[in-house]
Amino acid sequence: MRNAQMSSLLNEISSLFIPIIIIGVIVYGIYKKAPVYDYFTAGAKDGLKTCVEMIPFIIAIFIGIEAITSSGAMEFFQKLIGPFMELIGLPRELTSIILLRPVSGSGSIVLAERLMRTYGTDSLVGTSASVMVGSCETVFYVLALYYGVTSVKKLRHALPAGVIGYIAGVLASVYLSYIMLIS
Amino acid sequence: MMNYLWAGMLIIGAVFAAANGNLSSFSDGLMASCGEAVNFMIGLAGIMAVWSGIMEIASKSGLIGKLAEFAAPFMRFLFPKERDKDTIAFILMSFTANIFGAGNSATVFSLKAMERMDAQNKHSTLASNTMCMFTAVSMSMIQLVPVTILKIRTDLGSPNPGIIIIPSILAGLISMAVSIAVCKFYEWKEPHL
Repeated sequence: MRNAQMSSLLNEISSLFIPIIIIGVIVYGIYKKAPVYDYFTAGAKDGLKTCVEMIPFIIAIFIGIEAITSSGAMEFFQKLIGPFMELIGLPRELTSIILLRPVSGSGSIVLAERLMRTYGTDSLVGTSASVMVGSCETVFYVLALYYGVTSVKKLRHALPAGVIGYIAGVLASVYLSYIMLIS
Repeated sequence: MMNYLWAGMLIIGAVFAAANGNLSSFSDGLMASCGEAVNFMIGLAGIMAVWSGIMEIASKSGLIGKLAEFAAPFMRFLFPKERDKDTIAFILMSFTANIFGAGNSATVFSLKAMERMDAQNKHSTLASNTMCMFTAVSMSMIQLVPVTILKIRTDLGSPNPGIIIIPSILAGLISMAVSIAVCKFYEWKEPHL
């Protein structure tokens, strides 16, 4: 019960975030006698320009990711990696979500739903999948998107930092779920 | 690198699609994803406009300067070379929006921050240390309430949907610490970039 109460309280805080920022900024602007409406529209115009400039990069990223996920290449890599997973104590059932999470946020959520339906929401597989989706980011998607809008061609350590951090997140998710379930 | 990575993804995809005999669903998927990409950006355009407008007010009225000073100790550890207050503000807003689960807003702040860092990096083809640290931290940023997954767990009748919140935050923090350590290691090797 304590968990349920806490999650609704946290939910409440989260939903206050956007209104508080917007009101806070506008009130501060008015207090400083700034022409808030003029500033807002000037900034919005700039934002829209950025948006249009990004469309080609976003299209490139989307079709690249789609090519990998819809062609069956993903399934092949899963079969390849499955046996190694068990060696480091990760359930084999999690292979698909571990591989899909870095490239597709929506895809990995669908997969987490399917895993929980098959193995139970509070099984080790179900809990680990939930924690992973809650804590591990879509590393490759984010890298492609963020650097897509820059002139950067060589990512340097952005890639290893993301991938190593992701692996640490996956291991932590599974081990923490395991510790939580046996306690 | 992006050239090879992107070409590789498409070529590997096409080869596997041909080998698995699902070329038709592969081409449908590709065409559909182009539309999705544009829809995604259109969906983002409104939010982008609103936040850029709000940030413009905050910047011109001096609020961002105050905020940046307040967060300076923390930011100086992560981004020792970043001096531009507006960039720092976008970075901060991106992190905060992530924590509060405002995913689309976070994306908008991050893209604006990247754009500014790229200009400071003089549109070089090499990612700067600041950029690498920023993407590393935002990729492992924790989320206070993983709303989507909580909803799925509730719908599937989990006796305790919220049980995953604390482990998620802990796993996120572990992943963040590791990412930051990796970045700091490379920064120490190549401090000039």
